[in-house]
Order: sequence, then C-alpha cells, then structure tokens
Amino acid sequence: MSQNVVTYKRPPLLKALKRDMQLHFWKYVLIIPILVYLALFCYKPMYGLVIAFKNYKPARGIWGSKWVGFTWFETFFKDPYFFRLLRNTFRLSAYSILFGFPAPIILALLLNEVSNNKFKRTVQTITYMPYFISLVVACSIIKIYCQADGLFSQIGQFFGAPAQNLLIDPNKFTPIYVISGIWQNIGWNSIIYLAALSGIDQEQYEAARIDGANRFEQVLHVTIPGILPTIMILFIMRMGSILNVGYEKILLLYTDATFETADVFSTYTYRMGLQSQKYSLSTAVGLFNTMVNIVFLLFTNWLSTKTTESGLF
Amino acid sequence: MKKLFALALALCLVLAAVPASALELLSGADIYPLDAADKTITWYAQDGLNPHEKFADWKESPFHTNMSKQIGVNIEWVIPTTGTDGGTFTNTLMADPANLPNIMKLGSGGFDNAALYLEDEVIWDLTPYIQEYAPAYYAFLQTNPAYDKAMKTDDGQYYGFGFFREGGGWNDTYQGPVVRTDWLAEQGLDFPKTLSEFENVIRVFNEKYGAKFAAPWSRFKQSPALSGMFGGFAASDQQWAVQDGKVFLGQAHEGYRAYVSWLNKLWEEGLLDQDIFSLDDTSIKAKVQNGQIGIGYTSMGQMNNWNKECDAAGIGAVWAGSPIPKADDGSISSVFGGFGIGTGHIAVITKTADEETLKLCLRALDYAYTQEGFLFWNYGLENDTWVWGPEGIPVWTEKMANDTDVDPMTKYNGATWGSSCIQADNLLYLKNSKAAIEANNTWFFVFPEDNEKNLAVTGGWKWPVGTTFTLDEADELDLIAGSIGTYCTENFASFVTGTLDVDDDAVWEKYLADFETYNLSRITEIRQACYDRYAAR
Repeated sequence: MSQNVVTYKRPPLLKALKRDMQLHFWKYVLIIPILVYLALFCYKPMYGLVIAFKNYKPARGIWGSKWVGFTWFETFFKDPYFFRLLRNTFRLSAYSILFGFPAPIILALLLNEVSNNKFKRTVQTITYMPYFISLVVACSIIKIYCQADGLFSQIGQFFGAPAQNLLIDPNKFTPIYVISGIWQNIGWNSIIYLAALSGIDQEQYEAARIDGANRFEQVLHVTIPGILPTIMILFIMRMGSILNVGYEKILLLYTDATFETADVFSTYTYRMGLQSQKYSLSTAVGLFNTMVNIVFLLFTNWLSTKTTESGLF
Repeated sequence: MKKLFALALALCLVLAAVPASALELLSGADIYPLDAADKTITWYAQDGLNPHEKFADWKESPFHTNMSKQIGVNIEWVIPTTGTDGGTFTNTLMADPANLPNIMKLGSGGFDNAALYLEDEVIWDLTPYIQEYAPAYYAFLQTNPAYDKAMKTDDGQYYGFGFFREGGGWNDTYQGPVVRTDWLAEQGLDFPKTLSEFENVIRVFNEKYGAKFAAPWSRFKQSPALSGMFGGFAASDQQWAVQDGKVFLGQAHEGYRAYVSWLNKLWEEGLLDQDIFSLDDTSIKAKVQNGQIGIGYTSMGQMNNWNKECDAAGIGAVWAGSPIPKADDGSISSVFGGFGIGTGHIAVITKTADEETLKLCLRALDYAYTQEGFLFWNYGLENDTWVWGPEGIPVWTEKMANDTDVDPMTKYNGATWGSSCIQADNLLYLKNSKAAIEANNTWFFVFPEDNEKNLAVTGGWKWPVGTTFTLDEADELDLIAGSIGTYCTENFASFVTGTLDVDDDAVWEKYLADFETYNLSRITEIRQACYDRYAAR
C-alpha cells in the first residue's frame, strides 16, 4: 500500500537567518556586544596558539619566530616530570570532584530539610563565609594550622601522633587541598542547588506523601530528580575543566618537599611560561591541557545525554 | 673572638673612611643637570627602587622625583605593582618588546641571554656610544678588569650598567648563621666555629631550652648555606660552581651529600625545625620571640629586626652573627657571597629609545657613576638628608636621624637594595646596627689573615657574573634544562626529611644517575664552553 509522506524541507540557513532576524530584530541587536566580546577576547587571542609550534622570541614576533613543529610537545612529553604532572593533576581533580562536587549538594539537601529558619540561615551564613576570605589569607590560615606546633598537629599529638608539619608530607597534600577546598566553597556552591530546590513543585511532595513516602523517600524520588538537570549541567561543566586545578592555591601551599604529589600542569606552565619565559613550551602545555578538557567535556556530555537525557548540547 | 671582630671591624671602618673621591669617579658637575627638562625617558625598575611604603607611588617619592631634577631630564618611572613578583612582571613586559620602557633595570636572575637580546635588537649595543655618553661609567669599569669583563658579551659588546659594591664582596655575604648570645653566656659556650661546636650548640640549646635550628626557607635554600664546612657548594637551589676552571653542578658533588646527610641527622633527632620548608621572614618571628630558636640562619637585616622586636617585646634575647662553621680540620669550600658585582641589578637601554633618546638614557644612567651621582644615589640631597661629617664622610641630618619609619633612607636614595649604581660601604654602616655590621664581618672574613683565600671561598667558587650564552646554546638550554632545577630542590627536601636515604650508596648512585635524565652532562658541557669563553675575554 502506498503511503503519502509529507516531507518538510528545511529552508537554506541564510534564508532562515534572514527571516528570523526580521522577526526578532532587537534580540539580534542585543546579542551584538556579546559576539564582539567573544570575538575579541576569546577567539582573536587563539591565533597566539600558533607559538606552540614555533620557537617564539618576543622580539621576532609570532610570524617572525622559527617554525619548530611539534618540538615543544615532544619536549613536554619527554620531560621526566610529564607523567607525574599528569598523575597529580588527575588525582587532585578527581578527588576534588569525588568529594568536593557532592558536598554542596548534600549541604543543600540537608538545609532544605531544616524547618527552623533561624538555624538554617545561621548555618548558611557560616558556610558561606570562608568563600569571601581571599585565597592568600585562607592559605595562610591553612599553613599556620598545619605547622608542627599548629592546631592540627596538636590535635594529632593529643591522640598520640608525633608533632609534624602536615604540609611537608607529600601524602597529606591531596587531603589538605581537597578538604580546604570543600571548607571554602561548600556554602557558596550550595546556593545554586538551593535555588533549584526552591523550583520544585510542592504538589509533587504532597503527592508523594499521599503515596506514603517518608522524608528520605521524598528526597530520593522527588528532590533529587528535581535538581538532577542542574547537577548534571554543573557536572559536565566541571568535567570540562578537569585539568584546570587551581594553581594559585597550589603555589601558595606546596613546598619543595611536596612536589611529588602537588606539582600539576598549571604550576608547571606558570614556572615555564611566566618565570622562565618559555612561552612556546607553556603554550604547548596549555594547548594539551585544553584538548584533554575538551575530550572530557564531550564524553561527559554524551554520557549525561544518554543516561539522564540532559546535557549542555 | 673579640680580637677577630675588632680586627675585621677596624678593616671595614678603614675602607669606609675612604672618601667617595677615592673611588676615582669622574665629576659630573660640568654635565649635570642636562638641558633636557623638556625631554622624557621611561625607566623601569624591577626590584630595589620601589618607592618607600609610605608613598602611594613614585610621584610622591623624593628619590624618584629628585632624580629628574638632578639629571635634568624628565623621568617617567615604571615600577612593578605592589605585591607582584618582580621577575614575573619583568617577563610580562619583555613579552612585548615594541612597548618596553627606554631603560629596563632588571632584578635578580642575571642576564645570561644578553647576546639574544642584542641579536634580536631588543636592547642597544652600547659599545659605540659608551665612552662619549657614559664617560664616568666607562672610566669606572676600567678601574677593575673584573668589572669591565662582567659588563660585556663574549664579543666585547657593552650592553648594560651594573651594580657594584664599594667594598667588593663584603656585603655580598649578607647572610649566615646567627645565635642567641644570652643563651651562649648562660651555658658558658663560645661562638661555635667548627662543625662539632656548631652541632653542640644546637644540642645544648635543644636540651636546655627546647629550641631547634631554624631559618627562613627563602634564605636557607640559597646555595651554599652551610654546606661549605662539608666541602660542598650547594643547598637546595640549583647552583653551578667552578673549581680550577672546571664547571660542575653543586648538587652532584660529594660535599653536598655530606651536608644533606648531616641535615637529615638533625631532622631525625628533632633538632631541625619541622616547619623549615615553609618558614619565611615573617612567620619565623613568632618562633624567635617564643624562644623556639636559639641558633639559626638569616640575613643581617633580619637579625637586626629580630633584635629590635625581641627588645620591644621585653624578651631578653640578644642575637649576633656566628662564624660560618668550618670542618673540624679548619677547611671550608664555600660561603654565600660574591665579588661585589650585582648579579642581577643591571640596567639596559631598549630599542624603543631612538638614537637621541639612547644618548639621553646613557647620560641618565652615567650620572650614578659620577662623584655627585654616587652621593645622591647613596644619601640623597646634600644638606637635606646628609652633610659631610667631621671625618670627611657623609652623616645623616636630623631629618633622617629622627625619621622612625622602616628604612627611611630608601625615601631619598636608590642604592640601599641595589640598582645600576655603586653602593657605598658607609651607607651600610649608617643603615645597619653595630650588631648587624659585626655579623657581616664575621660571615665575610672567613680567612681574615689571607685575602686571596678569603676571596676564593666567598666568591671565587661561584658561576661568574656576566657570562653570556650564544643563541644556539640559549635555544638548546631552553629545550633541555627546564626541569633540572626542580630535581635539585625536591631531592634536597627528600634527603633532609629522610624520604630518600642519602647515606645509602645505592640511593645516592641512582640520584646521580638520574641526573642524566635531566641532561646534566649536556648542560654542563654548554656551561663549560660558556665559562671558557668568559675566562678568555
């Protein structure tokens, strides 16, 4: 049996764009500054990436410097510290995601369950406050607490541990980095989840209660699914910067004794690029960093779209 | 010991008593001020010329504003933003050669790549102009072949204006061991002069007062620290040394091994402060005031501060410089120091200056090496901040003497921390306490009876100032020498804390063998060639 199929023919792109612009003229005008910003500050500087393939000397300029192909990438991959940098960067990032990413979600869920507003506000204020402490001050506090005669060491001594500076032990650097990160960001990062929680339709809770769900089941079947798209989008974005661990904090906290676990791509780039003027090498490292981040972003987005049907694109 | 101090102090006072003219500087009276007040030059100063903390910027700073009047040209100063790392700020500027200030006064770190900057025409080759437009500087360089050699490339091109100390290397040895003399007296001990005595003081202070050996890491990591008593040349920071014309890395030397082994022993026995890797000049002060340190390692300026603060807090601690310990047989290989030629404080003229501006810049820089400029750079304006004293040497006026701000002379002078100038010994005497001067004497006069031997230990072992790599060498070092410094610093920490057992021959052999992964042989080869060219200049 023959079947009449109605096919929709998509109009040519330019024609569609023209029509859309006629319909939404002012929206297009409003977007112009954003496009200009992106073009000037995000895309134009990208042409500088070419120095990763050159022996860049400032006086010779980008095009005047000699082409060296993948020499700087080879130098980086052959560097005795390459695998250590890779391992440290992934380790710090993985632990930060594993423990740091769920922490504000849990805090938001707990706060959502608190009915005493005064207590809720007090907890929120206390957890937000560390976020407003400058990183330098926060790291100074951490350093003082971690000294051999500092607070943490004294607590350890109370339980029989020897007096020890925690920041010279390579094995303790990762926990210090991750826990201090949670301490500083948990309150601030929970705001977006609290906002998402407030958007959940209260009728869903009512329906769940009628169905006999207790508080935990309500959280499990209503609250978490309600904020899941927000969680996934933030998770995808976080995965898109998996190799971007905060180098400022590491620079402030690491010592020669903890390079083994604390030195990461970004601190290496800082030392090579800004301190040693090896612009081509640091650009090559940065480019490698970005490529890995993009791979992770695309993979996580694909996985999220497959499993939760929510993704960035 | 007291006789030694007295002898050394007397020697320095004799040096200081020599009037400025004994430096044989040309007078600038007939040249300055120039008739160029309508012309402007831009002058960048990485470190050492920051306006005093009381001023918001250089426009409020008497030294910076007076300089324009003294020279007779309008100077626009470019100073790194407060709180930023000077080296990083400089590198950021250097990334844009077309917009560099006319004069770039670089900070510590040296200028090994001068040949590259000359080749790339980032900076001017001063050779054709120096005698005519910087006669005072040129004449000063001719007074000492070592000065002249350090300020040229291998091809004989002059490229910068250096920093020189009037007293040679005396103040290059500005840091060393310090000890609480009140505790020494209480325990009936003398200043420790040998390794055994030094270790004994650490043990006695630990036993009696619970104190440990400690130091600000930024100072203790600088080579050679105390490694000289073990025949070594290096601490944590990568250090290239020269002995009998042979270049080598200090961290691959047997003396270094003995030094870190000793430090590890102190660490294991709880005699070395556990916080040493994270202590800085500020955080160590709490330990100083709490009596947690009785013997340590720091600079003369910081020791001065420790004494002042202990005095203000009513703590009876009296700190003094302790001799740099020698081996028990009296030998010592190296001491933190130099020959009084600034390793990094060099001013170059960039190609953003056209030829006429270049000549003006040369005149401006040359001023510091004239008799008048020497006095201005060291003391400020005559009859304002200083006058001639009865012994023919400058003394502060009441305005300066009564100024209670920290380092008030830096409001008016530019030679306190180092720049493109000559630092007067007398300035250091005026600036520092008697205890600090005595400390510097103690550290510098390692062999007071043998000047040649003393110079060899304080500066002769170091990679010299003014070496220049060829373009190919610089490119190759860029590719292969990036990580060797990290290998040095982190292994120092591993050896000291015992993460790696430096006394285990297998560990030590592996440590040495692994240097090849960091291209030690090739880097040494390049540096040897560079040194040989320098020596042949």
